[in-house]
Amino acid sequence: MSNSRTAVLFWQLAILVLVLVVWQWGFEWSRALLPKAYVPKILDPYFVAKPSLIWQSFLRLGCFADSAGFAACISGNDNNLWVATLVTLKNTWWGFLFGSASGIAVGLLLGRSDFLARVFGPYVVALNSIPRIALVPLVILIFGLGDLSKIATAWLVVFFVVFFNTFEGTRAVDRDQIAAARLLGASEFTVLRTVVVPSALAWVFASLLPAVSFALIGVIVGEFIGAERGLGKLIIEAEARANASEMMVAIFVMMFVGILLAIAVRSLQSYLLRWQPQFEASA
Amino acid sequence: MIVAPGPGFALAREEDERAAPRTRIAVRGLTKRFNASGREFVAVDDVSFEVKQGEFVALLGPSGCGKSTILNMVAGLLPRSGGHILIDEETVETGKVNPRVGYVFQRDTLFPWRTVEQNIGYGLEIARLSKTERAERVASAVEKAGLSGFAQSFPRMLSGGMRQRVALMRTLILEPEILLMDEPFGALDTHTKLEMHKTLLEIWERERQTVLFVTHDLGEALTLASRIILLSARPGRLKEDFDVAIPRPRDPVGVRETAEFGRLYSHIWHSLGEELRRTKAD
Repeated sequence: MSNSRTAVLFWQLAILVLVLVVWQWGFEWSRALLPKAYVPKILDPYFVAKPSLIWQSFLRLGCFADSAGFAACISGNDNNLWVATLVTLKNTWWGFLFGSASGIAVGLLLGRSDFLARVFGPYVVALNSIPRIALVPLVILIFGLGDLSKIATAWLVVFFVVFFNTFEGTRAVDRDQIAAARLLGASEFTVLRTVVVPSALAWVFASLLPAVSFALIGVIVGEFIGAERGLGKLIIEAEARANASEMMVAIFVMMFVGILLAIAVRSLQSYLLRWQPQFEASA
Repeated sequence: MIVAPGPGFALAREEDERAAPRTRIAVRGLTKRFNASGREFVAVDDVSFEVKQGEFVALLGPSGCGKSTILNMVAGLLPRSGGHILIDEETVETGKVNPRVGYVFQRDTLFPWRTVEQNIGYGLEIARLSKTERAERVASAVEKAGLSGFAQSFPRMLSGGMRQRVALMRTLILEPEILLMDEPFGALDTHTKLEMHKTLLEIWERERQTVLFVTHDLGEALTLASRIILLSARPGRLKEDFDVAIPRPRDPVGVRETAEFGRLYSHIWHSLGEELRRTKAD
């Protein structure tokens, strides 16, 4: 067991080192050794930057190594890496929160009412057929270039994912469990609170992990199309200057933001669903 | 059908109980028709019977004879197509829960996200009992069911028999006077079934609830019940009504060696066999 775990860790590190080495020096080495036609253009640092340049850009954008000092550097750039990350993280979080809360609420409502489900069914299908990203320019037109339009975009993307799962989860609740709860004296609302919600929770959480990524995608796309601040804005600016390493910095920061949010959702999930076998160990 | 109680009603009732036990469940001309793909079929046809205070009645019949359908109508889980059901002289309304009536399912309907303790305490929680009183009653129910040491376990960690014990306690903790049971041990293996019979006999011989117990297992009916109502094959009609005069306290193993058990077994077995042949002929 521990043996195979060490082996896995070894290979994971080996791959990481290999990728970094090829990325850093691959282009130079292959140009020195191979005829020009055989050198893959994609490795050109002009396009993909390289680890050392990305690190330098990271230090510069994050104001870690500035001659004027940290404070002066921060106040000199109102979309520095810190502000951009915070803004994107904040908008992703609120979009995710509103999107999943409303998705859960509407999912429960339609899931529990056959009448409402039949009335709204076709509208839900129609709205869901719109690629959400196509709505982003409209959202920016309505809510402006500020944070609100990014939150609204993330909300749009998250809502339907969570809604559909909650709806299905509510539909899949064991009818005999509901009957049992009623026979033990539960009112309609108590049934909802003590049987339907806990039972549908597994379905809800199955959608929350992708929903986090979707929220981040929604915010970044919103920032691409029109924003004052944020990591997406940072990328668009870097693109205008053909600065691949700055883009890479923003991409890596997004990766970490995504991982952090996923870990947060995952730990909440393993606590709330600790009665399920797959989460037993972490309970 | 409802007779308004006159003055001295309570007194009269007490005297009645001493003389002849009062009727708790009255089923009269009960009929159930279902629509299956446009064709109507009769599942229960004009069934009438009564269950008196403190009786343990088994509703026995071949599978598909509508015995669970009858039970579900008595519980108010299913609307009836015709006839009357009275519990304590009041008409049963579909969808309305009677707090004096407890129901045990065949299927596992425990809440998997609640621990054994939380499952058993569910009804008390809804009744808004104080935490301390709840904990006290749950603890004694856990012990009664022989589940000490499993109070904090989730249902999926338990065996089928233990889960059904939890389900039984979840219902019994509310102290129902009338207990409706729909083949509660139907999914258990023979050995576990015997243990459950022992548990149920112990509880019932002490507390004497009024029980209506649905089963297709003749041995089970004879072990537990004081009366057996035999239903015909579909459509379910009343076929015969037997008193089971095996003395109590009963032991689920020893009971099978009594003469009465053997006599009733072969008698009912023949009657049941006729119905099984009819089912096959259909």
